[in-house]
Amino acid sequence: MNIIETKDLTYEYVRRDDQGNIEGIVKAVDGVSISVEPGQFVAILGHNGSGKSTLAKHLNAILKPGEGTVWVDGMDTADESNLWDVRQRAGMVFQNPDNQIIGQVVEEDVGFGPENMGVPTKEIWERVEESLRAVGMYMYRKDSPNKLSGGQKQRVSIAGVFAMHPKCIVLDEPTAMLDPSGRKDVICAIRGLNDVEGVTVILITHYMEEIIHADKVFIMDDGKVAMQGTPKEIFSQVEKLQELRLNVPQVTLLAEALKQRGIALPDGIVTKEELAEALGL
Amino acid sequence: MSIVFENINFIYNAGMPTERKALEDICLEIPDGQFVGIIGHTGSGKSTLIQHMNGLMKASSGALYFQGENIYEKGYDLKSLRTKVGLVFQYPEHQLFEVDVFSDVCFGPKNQGLEQEEVEKRAKEALRMVGVEDHMFFQSPFELSGGQKRRVAIAGVLAMRPDVLVLDEPTAGLDPKGRGEILDLIKDLQVKTGKTVILVSHSMEDVAEYVDRIIVMNEGKIMLDGTPREVFKHTQGLEEVGLAAPEVSYILRDLKKRGLDVATDAITISEAAEAIAKAIQQRHS
Amino acid sequence: MLRDIIIGQYYQTESVIHRLDPRVKLGGTLLYIISLFCFDNFIGYVLAILFLGIVIRLSHVPFKLMVRGMKAILFLLLITAVFNLFLTPGEPLVSVWKLSISKEGLVLAVTMAVRLSLLIIGSSIMTLTTTPNNLTDGMEKMMAPLKVFRIPVHEVAMMMSIALRFIPILLEETDKIMKAQMARGADFESGNIFARAKALVPLLIPLFVSAFRRANDLAMAMESRCYRGGDGRTKMKPLVYARRDAIAYVCLVGYLVVSIVLGNVVLW
Repeated sequence: MNIIETKDLTYEYVRRDDQGNIEGIVKAVDGVSISVEPGQFVAILGHNGSGKSTLAKHLNAILKPGEGTVWVDGMDTADESNLWDVRQRAGMVFQNPDNQIIGQVVEEDVGFGPENMGVPTKEIWERVEESLRAVGMYMYRKDSPNKLSGGQKQRVSIAGVFAMHPKCIVLDEPTAMLDPSGRKDVICAIRGLNDVEGVTVILITHYMEEIIHADKVFIMDDGKVAMQGTPKEIFSQVEKLQELRLNVPQVTLLAEALKQRGIALPDGIVTKEELAEALGL
Repeated sequence: MSIVFENINFIYNAGMPTERKALEDICLEIPDGQFVGIIGHTGSGKSTLIQHMNGLMKASSGALYFQGENIYEKGYDLKSLRTKVGLVFQYPEHQLFEVDVFSDVCFGPKNQGLEQEEVEKRAKEALRMVGVEDHMFFQSPFELSGGQKRRVAIAGVLAMRPDVLVLDEPTAGLDPKGRGEILDLIKDLQVKTGKTVILVSHSMEDVAEYVDRIIVMNEGKIMLDGTPREVFKHTQGLEEVGLAAPEVSYILRDLKKRGLDVATDAITISEAAEAIAKAIQQRHS
Repeated sequence: MLRDIIIGQYYQTESVIHRLDPRVKLGGTLLYIISLFCFDNFIGYVLAILFLGIVIRLSHVPFKLMVRGMKAILFLLLITAVFNLFLTPGEPLVSVWKLSISKEGLVLAVTMAVRLSLLIIGSSIMTLTTTPNNLTDGMEKMMAPLKVFRIPVHEVAMMMSIALRFIPILLEETDKIMKAQMARGADFESGNIFARAKALVPLLIPLFVSAFRRANDLAMAMESRCYRGGDGRTKMKPLVYARRDAIAYVCLVGYLVVSIVLGNVVLW
């Protein structure tokens, strides 16, 4: 069974003027059907305004589908009685770390989710320790979140979601506000949860280098899924990516530039090791 | 006509348990018309450094000269310095407040005490310079996209006609498309107006292609200062402080390690492709 | 600067005060404030200062930090003092034009200033040594009986704790906005009161916009972490009274009694 599945999902934002008259309707998500298998690392990519964040909010039942259906672990998110189960099953991490940390001490924040779920005290402590260790933040458990760097705060947020023992974690541009080292740490923590703990990960981002290791990539444009496939399949279509105004990894661009200079190389080179091998080194 | 830092020190929370040296003995000269990139990871002192340039922060010790005058001298007009050294902060959300884009851009020149006519002239000029089209002038600044907000914020500072334009991480939070557009715009402004432009960033790739000079900050000190090519030679030093050289230089180094006799000093894709093509040709011949 | 205000800023360290049950600290703060207005002589002040001094020592929070928090309300203190100084009727000491300073006024101004300072430092100890979550728990439990009157105790407590957490963040943001506007020539420091009030507009609008956005984001984040009010919630750190809490209560009540008795002794 798929852990996440959407069928013909459509969602419209209605813009109103001062008098409340309808000014315009924006189809933020337009007929999207995707499926994610348990344990997968899935990336959703697109530039700002492509509808990727709106899609993400459906996976956690923050938004209800306008049309179409979303299933999380087999549960229809439009069904009010599934609400809390859906939110526990598919945890969500947002872009701005400051606006999602509730606790004034790291460990208290991580405990917030389990508290809401009614987990017994002793087990909350176990979950908090386990989650903080999983993202490498255990040594900061007694600190105030305000003293942490952006990358550290974001890892606390991830631990806070992981402590709810979700089957799937949806991350909505978790690295957009971070500096390069913070970004690396966060991606590393996410991959750890996927590899070691087997949590399904849906990573929404606009950084190409973060999706190289994904099992599957969806590219959103104008509310629709414009491309999908493995990173290799995606990156072999450099021209189409540039048409969608997305960045391509530097190695891929370099390989393209070499091809133009008459050096025979295969399509879809995404790591420097692959480039070296293709060059016969 | 330049900005000169002479032994500038800045201490945060002096005398408190949280006391910290944010800038340590900074000596620096930025001549007119230069396009400078200041790079460093969060907390390296780069933001503190630029806030000294327009007198928003005052050094604990040292002297700072703008156009030959010490700005710490008694009676120096700091308010007019701020209009000459225009500083655009990281998040446009921190400065946009008016009902429409146009009035927001008028805020700066109005504070300079100019006539209404002149204010509007400058605002229009600034908005056009950053590529905001006339039909957007009377939109609410809060409804714009991230990239557009940033343009309006830059216009808000440009409208004061500063000699120096300082931008604190103008691309933070934008997607690749928006990032490229803003950087192109800044380069364009620099070329067209000949103003000194100082760009703060934590992204090496962003600045490498655009600037004449890179200053790398670390722990409140200037670690490296030179042309991008000179600075990127110090890959190891950069990595030690949490920064990285452009991706291509790693690829080239990797290829060299695997036995391809390739020059590794390229910093752009086309330079790198050139170098690899050359090396492969040599190997075949 | 604005960030000097420390209300709501938890100071992380190990101390017996930190480990006390928040209910003790809440009750203690309340008792201390009451005590400040129950004495009427010099001994009372000595006792109040002494008691506070001991608590500060026990809390391991640097005293400097609390003094720093005082700076923010210095203005308020001064105004109170000035009013008391000039507006208290009594035997005049100095007279200038229509204003006169009476002996009673001088005494009242000084004692009021001392009382207010003690009150503020006393309450700041509570916030410095108790995490907002902990404080919320304490308040929630203390006010639980009010639930009978359909007062949403949990929600109120949660709101207060969130407000406390966001105060430092919003203060930092205010600082940044001020700088961004100053870089565009805004002047927050000169002009008459109307000019100054008007100058605040470019500061307040971005601040409110940001606060609403944060509130919206936070609400979404809380809901996505299954927050649905107080019912059915368990506690990571449930409040259980320990021996030290009992001892603390005894000390507090002891202090209150002594300060009331000794503080009024001269009146007999």
